[in-house]
Amino acid sequence: MKTNLLYSAAIAVSIFFFLGCENENDIDGIGNLVPKTVDQDPTLPSISVNGTQLHAETFGNPNNPMLIFLHGGPGSDYRNGLNVQQLATDGYYVVFYDQRGSGLSKRHDKNSYSIQLVLDDLTEVIKYYRTSPQQKVFLLGHSWGAMLGAAYVNSYPDKIDGLILAEPGGLNKKLLDDYGEMSRKINIFSEVTSNLLYVDQFLTGKENQHEILDYKYGISSSFSYAKGNKEGIPGPSPFWRIGTTVLESFTDIAENDGFDFTTNLDQYTTKVLFLYGELNQSYGLSFAQKEAAYFPVSEIEEVKGTGHEMIYFKWENVHPIVLNYLNQLK
Amino acid sequence: MKAIVVFITFLLSLFTTNFLQAQTINWENLKSDEKHILNINVGWEYSFVYGLSYGYHLKTEIPIILEGSFSFASGEVIFDDFKTKIGGQINFYQIDNFRFNAGIHGIYRRYGNPLVTLQNFGADASIIIGYYKPKWFVAGEFGYDQAIVTHFKHTNIYKEVYPDVKNGWFEPTTGGNVNFGIQGGYSFKQSDLTLRAGKVMTQDFQTTPLIPFYVQLGYSYKLD
Repeated sequence: MKTNLLYSAAIAVSIFFFLGCENENDIDGIGNLVPKTVDQDPTLPSISVNGTQLHAETFGNPNNPMLIFLHGGPGSDYRNGLNVQQLATDGYYVVFYDQRGSGLSKRHDKNSYSIQLVLDDLTEVIKYYRTSPQQKVFLLGHSWGAMLGAAYVNSYPDKIDGLILAEPGGLNKKLLDDYGEMSRKINIFSEVTSNLLYVDQFLTGKENQHEILDYKYGISSSFSYAKGNKEGIPGPSPFWRIGTTVLESFTDIAENDGFDFTTNLDQYTTKVLFLYGELNQSYGLSFAQKEAAYFPVSEIEEVKGTGHEMIYFKWENVHPIVLNYLNQLK
Repeated sequence: MKAIVVFITFLLSLFTTNFLQAQTINWENLKSDEKHILNINVGWEYSFVYGLSYGYHLKTEIPIILEGSFSFASGEVIFDDFKTKIGGQINFYQIDNFRFNAGIHGIYRRYGNPLVTLQNFGADASIIIGYYKPKWFVAGEFGYDQAIVTHFKHTNIYKEVYPDVKNGWFEPTTGGNVNFGIQGGYSFKQSDLTLRAGKVMTQDFQTTPLIPFYVQLGYSYKLD
C-alpha cells in the first residue's frame, strides 16, 4: 500500500507540472471555441436591419443587377458560398449575408425566430443594398437557403426577378421529411454515429450557453461528409459558426407547426433554375422534378462531378449554368 | 482546476493499482465469500458501447463493492471514444427485501473525431432503490454525471474553420447529464443477467442529448 501511495503521488506531481505548462480557458469565454460575432467584434463587416445586426459584405458595382446569396442551414453561413463572388466580375452586384443568428451574425434567443422574421430580414437586406427601384434582384439559394428563396417568392412573387435553387431540402414538410429519410440513414454501430453522439456526455450547454452549443454542433458536422455519405460530399467545407439555436428553433417550428412554401408559387411566372449535384444520391432528377413542378416555368440542370456542396466543390461547373440563366434575365 | 485534476488523478492511480471497479448488482444474491465480480455488458449510452468491469466485494458489515470499468464506443476506430470509471457502490440501508444503494465514481473519458480530441475528468453519483430476492431483483435508479474539466486539442480541419481556437484545459464544468430509469436482473448459480434502461436529460432539465435514452444488457460472474 505504501508503494502504491508513493506511485500515485509521483504520477500526481508529474501531471501537475505537465498541466502547469498549459493555459486554462473559460468554457463560456467569448472567442475561445467559436469566432466572435458582429456584435462582439466591431471590425467585422455588418449591417443593422430589422432589429438585428447581420454579418454582410458585397462585391461588384452597386448599380449592377443584384444577386443575393442565401446560405444553407438553418444556422450555417455564407463562407462556403464565397465562390459566388465571381459573378461580380460578370457584371452583378453580389450580396452575402449571414442570416439572423447564423454564422457571424448576432445571436438571438431561441423563441424569437419565425419564418416571417427571416423573410422580413431579406426584405430589409434588399432595401439596404438596392440603389434604385429599377435595379433587378436575383436570389441564389443553396439547400436551406434555396428553401428560404422559394419561401420568399411564395410570399412576394413580384419582388424577385430571378430565382436559382440549388438542392432545396424540401419546399414543404413532406418533401423535407422525404429528403431527410433519403440522406440521413444512420448505422448505429458506425464511427460516424459515435462521432455525432458520444460527445453528448462531454459538452451539454444550457439553452443560453450559445458558445458551447454552437461549438458542439460545429465539431459534430463531420458526419455530413463521412465516407459513404449519400449526399456526395467529399470532405469538409469551411464555415464560421453553426448557429445551433437557429437550427433548433426552425427544427421545432417544422416539427410542431409544419410549413409549406408552395402555396403561392404558381404566381411566380419567371423561369426558376433548379440545380442538383450528379453525386447526391438523395436528391437527383426525380426530386428536382417534384420540387420544380410547383413553379409554372422551370429549368433543371445537373451539375456534373459533385454532390450537395456543389458551390464550394464544383463552382467551376455551377458558374456557367448560373451565369447563362442570369444573363437571360438581366 | 489543476488541483481537482491532480486529486482525481491521484485517486484514479491509487485505485488502479488495486484494480478495483460499476456494475448492476443483485445485492440479495451476493454471498459474503464472493469476492470478485466480473462483468461484460453491451448497450446504448450516448452511442452504442461495449463494456467490461471488475468489482471487489469488501468484507464489511455494510455491503460495499469497489469497482472499475472500461467501455468504448462502436465504430471503425475502436479506442478514440472510451470511458473508464473507478469507484464503488454501497448498500447502505435495508428493510426486508427493499434495499437502498448508492454509488460514486471518478471518470476519465476520451472523444475523438476529425475535428477535435477531448479528454475529460468527471464524476458520477447514483441512488438505486429496489426490491431484491435471491433469484431476481428490480430497482429504480437516478444518477448524475458531470464532466468536470475537459482538455481540447483541435485538428487542422477545425483550425481552418477557426484559426484562433484555444487548445488546453477548459473549466468550469463543460457539461452534466442526469439519468433516471429502472434496472433488474435474474440470478442463477454464480451468475447475474441484468438489464438497465432509462432516460437521459441535461442538467438543466430543459434539453436532452440527441438520443435521450440508455439501455444496457449485462452478464456478471462471481468468484470466491
